Amino acid sequence: MNLLDHPDLADRLAAAYALGTLRGGARRRFETQARQSPALRAAALAWQERFASMTELQQPQAPSPNVWKRIENLVAAETAPLGPVPPVANGGWFTALRMWRAAALAGGLATIAAVGAGFYLSDELTVQRMQLAQLDRARAGLAQEKAQLVAQLQATPEIRYVAVLSNDASSPAMLVTFDPKHNTLTLKRVGAFQEAADKSLQLWALPASGAPRSLGVLSGAPVVKLTAAEPQVGAAPALAISLEPKGGVPSEGGPTGPVLFKGPVLPTT
Amino acid sequence: MDATAQEHRLIELLDRVAARALDSARRGDSESALRELYDLTSARLYGVALRVVGNREWAEDVLQEAYLNIWRIAGNYRAALSPPLAWMGVIVRSRALDFLRRRASERADAGVELEGIVTDTVAADSPDPLDASQASQQAWALHECLRKLEARQRELVSLAYLRDLSHGELAERLRLPLGTVKTWIRRGIEQLRGCMSQYA
Repeated sequence: MNLLDHPDLADRLAAAYALGTLRGGARRRFETQARQSPALRAAALAWQERFASMTELQQPQAPSPNVWKRIENLVAAETAPLGPVPPVANGGWFTALRMWRAAALAGGLATIAAVGAGFYLSDELTVQRMQLAQLDRARAGLAQEKAQLVAQLQATPEIRYVAVLSNDASSPAMLVTFDPKHNTLTLKRVGAFQEAADKSLQLWALPASGAPRSLGVLSGAPVVKLTAAEPQVGAAPALAISLEPKGGVPSEGGPTGPVLFKGPVLPTT
Repeated sequence: MDATAQEHRLIELLDRVAARALDSARRGDSESALRELYDLTSARLYGVALRVVGNREWAEDVLQEAYLNIWRIAGNYRAALSPPLAWMGVIVRSRALDFLRRRASERADAGVELEGIVTDTVAADSPDPLDASQASQQAWALHECLRKLEARQRELVSLAYLRDLSHGELAERLRLPLGTVKTWIRRGIEQLRGCMSQYA
């Protein structure tokens, strides 16, 4: 039946189509005819528009203020896809440096205060001894603070390279960062992929020329740390992960299983 | 602000949200436009999300997803030729329906029997007084026409659309005979057709 000969029925079907209650074979037949008839298509669109206004008629309700905060954070995080990695590293350094300067300044002020207080004592010698003792204490305190800060700076990872390894469909599966100060590669699983119990994932550096070189085999943990030297990572334009038998395969032979994820190595500076 | 001024305001904000794609220096302005858009529309859209998913926490997740969606596709708004609030409302409805489908499939995966997500009552729906300064003309027309339906018919039609439910699902959800649901929906559509044609 050609619906255009029955405008009343056509409009009724268009309304039911837009409402969503026209289902199954009737819906498919309507769609087939609509594809061939601009008038029928227009009727369906007009009803879709009318029903869309149903969304304007719902009772307003106040959402929790957290919703906006979450939206704001997600929008901010979107600014730079690789954003979180380099700024955190820089922030770490600068924050640590600022802290060190502040600590040094505070130490200096403490010393001056101690010296000032000392002058109220009448005995010159006592004054000098006290000054020396206090200076020593201040110096010892500063040295201790400095040692702590140096240790803190040492512990702060310096991220020099990042790579996002993705599957064929470009969905990210693994976030890789490299810290040359500690010779550490950190791999964080970001996708849902989990290898079977009798398989292992193996990380490879893909050099500009020559065969892939193994950087290590991953445990099943969500975050894995591997040891690697900077030239191994920095000289490779890309990293890849292959699916191998449990425990991985020797580096010399190269990957034996399928390459599941790969991505370019990007310097952060 | 009357309805038209309100619409122009929303359209201008959507344009500003989209403008960052052409000029990245405008990103800050896009972000503040999103904030304003949120202030003007979130209560109304949260109402939509709540009506579809029936749970405040889920509705908040849906609302969050919907605004991120709006943030990304604001540039498509102009081509839609719809009133801005209805365009955003449809996005919220889609995200809410996705949410329910995702949940249903997770529950099916977990072997949990699918239950009615919310208990619906047919009689609960009373026509809300519509704030004419907020709604588009199109929404006003629909509101007037829905108001003329019997309460149960109005509720069935709203649920069918907002939750994307078939006759069978409506009958099950509302514990009504299938024949009754079909008749009410058919009559509801008939009356709406007659009524809406006056506003064309």
